[in-house]
Amino acid sequence: MTRSGIVAGGLAVAAVIVASALLFTNGVSAQSAKRAPQLETKDDASARPWKRYAGWPARDEAKFNTLGNLASPPPPTAPRKLSAPIDGDAKKGAELVADRNRGGSCLACHTMGPAGGAALPGNVGPDLSELGNAGREDEWLFNYVYDARVYNPDTVMPPWGGHGIFNDQEIGDIVVFLKTLKSPAPYKTELDNPDKRPAPVEKRDNLDPIENPGMWAVDKAQELWKQKSSIGFSCNTCHSEPKETFKTWAASMPKWEPRLNKVLGVEEFVTRHTKATTGDVWLMETDENRAMAVYLRYLANGTPIAIDTSSADSKAAIERGKALSQRKVGELNFACTDCHGKSANHWIRGQWLGEPKGQFDHFPTWRTSLLAIWDIRQRFQWCQVNIRADELPPDAKEYGDLEIYLASQNDGLKLNVPGIRH
Amino acid sequence: MAEKPRLKLPKEAKKGDIIEIKTLIPHIMESGQRKDKDGKTIPRKIINKFTAEFNGKPVFSATIEPAVAANPYLQFTAKVEESGTFKFSWTDDDGTVTTAEEQITVA
Repeated sequence: MTRSGIVAGGLAVAAVIVASALLFTNGVSAQSAKRAPQLETKDDASARPWKRYAGWPARDEAKFNTLGNLASPPPPTAPRKLSAPIDGDAKKGAELVADRNRGGSCLACHTMGPAGGAALPGNVGPDLSELGNAGREDEWLFNYVYDARVYNPDTVMPPWGGHGIFNDQEIGDIVVFLKTLKSPAPYKTELDNPDKRPAPVEKRDNLDPIENPGMWAVDKAQELWKQKSSIGFSCNTCHSEPKETFKTWAASMPKWEPRLNKVLGVEEFVTRHTKATTGDVWLMETDENRAMAVYLRYLANGTPIAIDTSSADSKAAIERGKALSQRKVGELNFACTDCHGKSANHWIRGQWLGEPKGQFDHFPTWRTSLLAIWDIRQRFQWCQVNIRADELPPDAKEYGDLEIYLASQNDGLKLNVPGIRH
Repeated sequence: MAEKPRLKLPKEAKKGDIIEIKTLIPHIMESGQRKDKDGKTIPRKIINKFTAEFNGKPVFSATIEPAVAANPYLQFTAKVEESGTFKFSWTDDDGTVTTAEEQITVA
């Protein structure tokens, strides 16, 4: 660079300083509203190393795919040959199919006659109650449980043997048990039958602070809004009329951010913008960050979700998110689309699998079963831990792509935050 | 940070009306029955008493036991004959008393 270039650069910096000084004296001008908001772009927006939430199962699933990494063993190319008929214990098999410590139990997806007392089985997979009448061979049953992909590459069934969840002897016990199933499930109540169980409907008034403790975040955020940072700034310094300024903003998020080369959701935006302006450090998944994320979406309640789906960067991010939603991850080898696409509107035991549409407009949401607010990134993380995959930090770029893809599927739904769910 | 109690009752009523009052206080309601990771009992910490007064006269009170869930939510009714102030109080095991007030105009 020439000497004159350096001088010119110095002048440009000086001009920026003057412009920011004007900004603080004149308030937010029409011009500055068009300027890209300030963002801190160097540091991570969540804790590093990322530590799993207290109370979540401590498992290391590094041997299997995550949304950030491919590691799972490949599917089998041919069925395993059995040298002799299976000699197993049907009683042990009956215990194994109902064992929730081993990946959720077969009853999560299949009705299996009287197994598990026929209490709340799921209906993602076929009803196996009369499988014993089907005349299936031991080898076929063994391989189907061991790794069903050998017969059906599109299956959503976890590779119980292929991923080492059950050993050969245990799968043998399960096969012998399956062959004993010869009559329909004796449901004790209508609700036990997954084909007749009504889909859950959320009827609570989520914007009533007595019904929904998630609303307390709105109060907390309004305090934080005016709380001065160590350098004397608050959100209020620049945004003194948040109800007007942010009437629709959150409905346009998440958004591709060229300065970071990733998609930013409201939560990460809060972390980065606050750090760059007031200096406060409100990392993702801290109480302050959750409160602000709830409040900013709350201010835009009623606004239809309308993210940018037309720019090349957004389109590319949505495509990447779509591909990630189809990636098989974790020990149970599920993709997002296995549960929320192929098997949507079915039951996993007592849990309803929803479609992607309707899984975004109410986040962050209050979880009544956990007494906590969960944002969409924490929801993504739990999906993974729950299917025995390692989660990524909440600010991972993969989650940004997934969030923008999810948002694109919720286009037009009106924001309704904080939600309330079980 | 202690969160403030939540109240819901009408601002106005007619003389002799029976009004519905909803109160909720954010509180962990630690029962004293749970153990931590090391097997030590987590000490009990609950709201053990709730009272509601109207213009200084008791309207409703409750002794709350450890089985009550977090964020105790109480709903009750009161007959109002005059304008005035409802005063609510919640007593914590540690002696802290949280209070809240709400006015009502009776025509």
